[in-house]
Amino acid sequence: MDTLKPTELPAPPQEAIRLVHACTQEGVDARDLGDIICRDPTLAAELLRVANSAYFGFASEIASIPRAVTVIGQKALRNLVLCLAMRDALRAEQLPAFPVEQFWEAALRRAVCARCLASLVHLDAEACFTVGLLQDFGLLVMFHLMQHRISEWRRLHEATPDARLELEHQLFQTSHEQVGQQLARNWNLPTELGIAMGMHHAGTPENTPAATVQLCRVAECADWMAAVFSAEDKRLAVRECRRLLDEHFGIKVEQCDGLLDQVAGHMQEAAIAFGFQVGAQPEFGEVLRQANMCLLEENLSFQEMNWQLEQILRERDRVAAELARELELAREVQRSLLPAEGGETRGVVGLNLSAREVSGDFYDFYRLHTGQVAFCIADVSGKGMNAAMLMAKTSSLYRCLGKSILDPSRLLAMLNREILETSIRGMFVTMTAGIFDPESRVVRLANAGHLPSVVMHDRRLVREYPADAPPLGIVPEAEFPGVDFCLEDHSLYLYTDGLLEARLAGGRRLEREGLLELLARHSDAAPVERLQHIVAAVRGDSGVMDDDLTLLMIEG
Amino acid sequence: MSYQVDEKDGYAVVRLTGEVDLNRSPDARRVILDCLQKKMPLLVDLSGVDYIDSSGVASLVEGYQLSRSRQLDFGLIGVSDAAMNVLRLARLDKVFPIYASLEARLKDTR
Repeated sequence: MDTLKPTELPAPPQEAIRLVHACTQEGVDARDLGDIICRDPTLAAELLRVANSAYFGFASEIASIPRAVTVIGQKALRNLVLCLAMRDALRAEQLPAFPVEQFWEAALRRAVCARCLASLVHLDAEACFTVGLLQDFGLLVMFHLMQHRISEWRRLHEATPDARLELEHQLFQTSHEQVGQQLARNWNLPTELGIAMGMHHAGTPENTPAATVQLCRVAECADWMAAVFSAEDKRLAVRECRRLLDEHFGIKVEQCDGLLDQVAGHMQEAAIAFGFQVGAQPEFGEVLRQANMCLLEENLSFQEMNWQLEQILRERDRVAAELARELELAREVQRSLLPAEGGETRGVVGLNLSAREVSGDFYDFYRLHTGQVAFCIADVSGKGMNAAMLMAKTSSLYRCLGKSILDPSRLLAMLNREILETSIRGMFVTMTAGIFDPESRVVRLANAGHLPSVVMHDRRLVREYPADAPPLGIVPEAEFPGVDFCLEDHSLYLYTDGLLEARLAGGRRLEREGLLELLARHSDAAPVERLQHIVAAVRGDSGVMDDDLTLLMIEG
Repeated sequence: MSYQVDEKDGYAVVRLTGEVDLNRSPDARRVILDCLQKKMPLLVDLSGVDYIDSSGVASLVEGYQLSRSRQLDFGLIGVSDAAMNVLRLARLDKVFPIYASLEARLKDTR
């Protein structure tokens, strides 16, 4: 609907338009104009009625058309004719389902606003009234052409001017400005009126005469002033209205509110004069109270939002505290799965420090009915709760199966199958399991993907026993070869990668060489103290660790 | 860590680079599993990996296990020294099929 064909537009009020143009001719005689007007008795009667109305407020009665022409003036007469002609150009019968009265009431409100504003800033009040009344006439034409959109009238009516324009584009793919401008052209309406109808939102081009630019500005302001009474968002309308009046005419808030105060009173007057049906007019004071109420509600909902946020934060803290308690419980359960700290069973000692609340590392040792000591160290892949749970499962299995399966190779194979049965997300467990005989000093070891076990004699590395099989939980058919050796007066160390990756003072990681050096340095200390020295070296002053750290030692 | 997925000679090739640690391995896991969900044979290129921890290895293990259950070819190619040390210590070098490159995998008749 970018361009309307003239045939689509309603028929122009030819007589009236002829009259309008006659009025604009210079040097035209009042009597000639009177003659033209009298050719249309209905128009003549209407003009006399309006001229005698409170709207013009003349002291004495105007009894004849020539007298009216003289008293009102040629230009005002022209505008009057225009308003009456346009009012009748589209009758209610042509838009059966459309609330035409509501449209004209809104138009009249813009006209009254424009007239009040014009009086304040010393512009032609009647010209501004006419522009105000007709600036949205394009919308009426749009509804006439697309009557299936009539149900959208209320939304458009209650929207602020800028929102209305956008909505028009969505609904009609054009706007009242475009249609109004085209109509003004096709109906040969006065140029300045055409520009004002077509450019009161878009703005005028540079070469537009100053008086016409002023007319457009009045129209824009009148639109927002009227919106104060009709728009749903009154707060926005009041704010924008005050801003525009200040921007275009330097009108400050008090004056702006004073103008808006006049509107309700003038509406009744103008409605009677032009024969429009209007409902009870809201006073600006009431509108302002509503707008402030909205503001108050918004503030209240902001306050409410704050309360809700506080509530959410409290809830978050509560959940976090609950989670921390749960983690502490989990940690306690984990600790219960490890041998008592600092405990020693016939030359076997161990130590575990977790970087997080829960750990994926563990170690265990206990005395068997044979007098031997079973021991193991393990590290579950990944970290966090899932690693901790797999650790709990594996350590329980180890405790349970380890007491009856005394061969580390068979034990690991059994654990491997059990873990595989319920393995999730590729998680696996590296483990070294062993049996130590305190009498013969013989150790039997099997290593499932775990870091090499280290045998030291005094300050010297005797041997390392690396893994000979993959971790538990990966390969169903895996075998875990065992190795036997005599520990004599040697020490056997088992550890997790947290120890190798721990940082020394200065930030360097311990690594294998660092570990061997530490073990050598503290070889004279008693078993429990020796482990404490090693841990102290990698924990430094901060005590912060990146990873869980576990260390187990068997003294031969 | 960053990753890149290419399709070549019927294989999806996932190239992981940088550090594959606890924070980044979920991405590695997702991209590996995505390829296998599409029923594509998969090679994971570890030539650009500077560091891999057990969570990273777990992502590879999960890919390996899923590929076995779906009877899809799975392997590691161009394994960097850093990654190879980790795999070797855990004896996983005997578990994962490891090749020098995609071409080497194609020539291998296993």
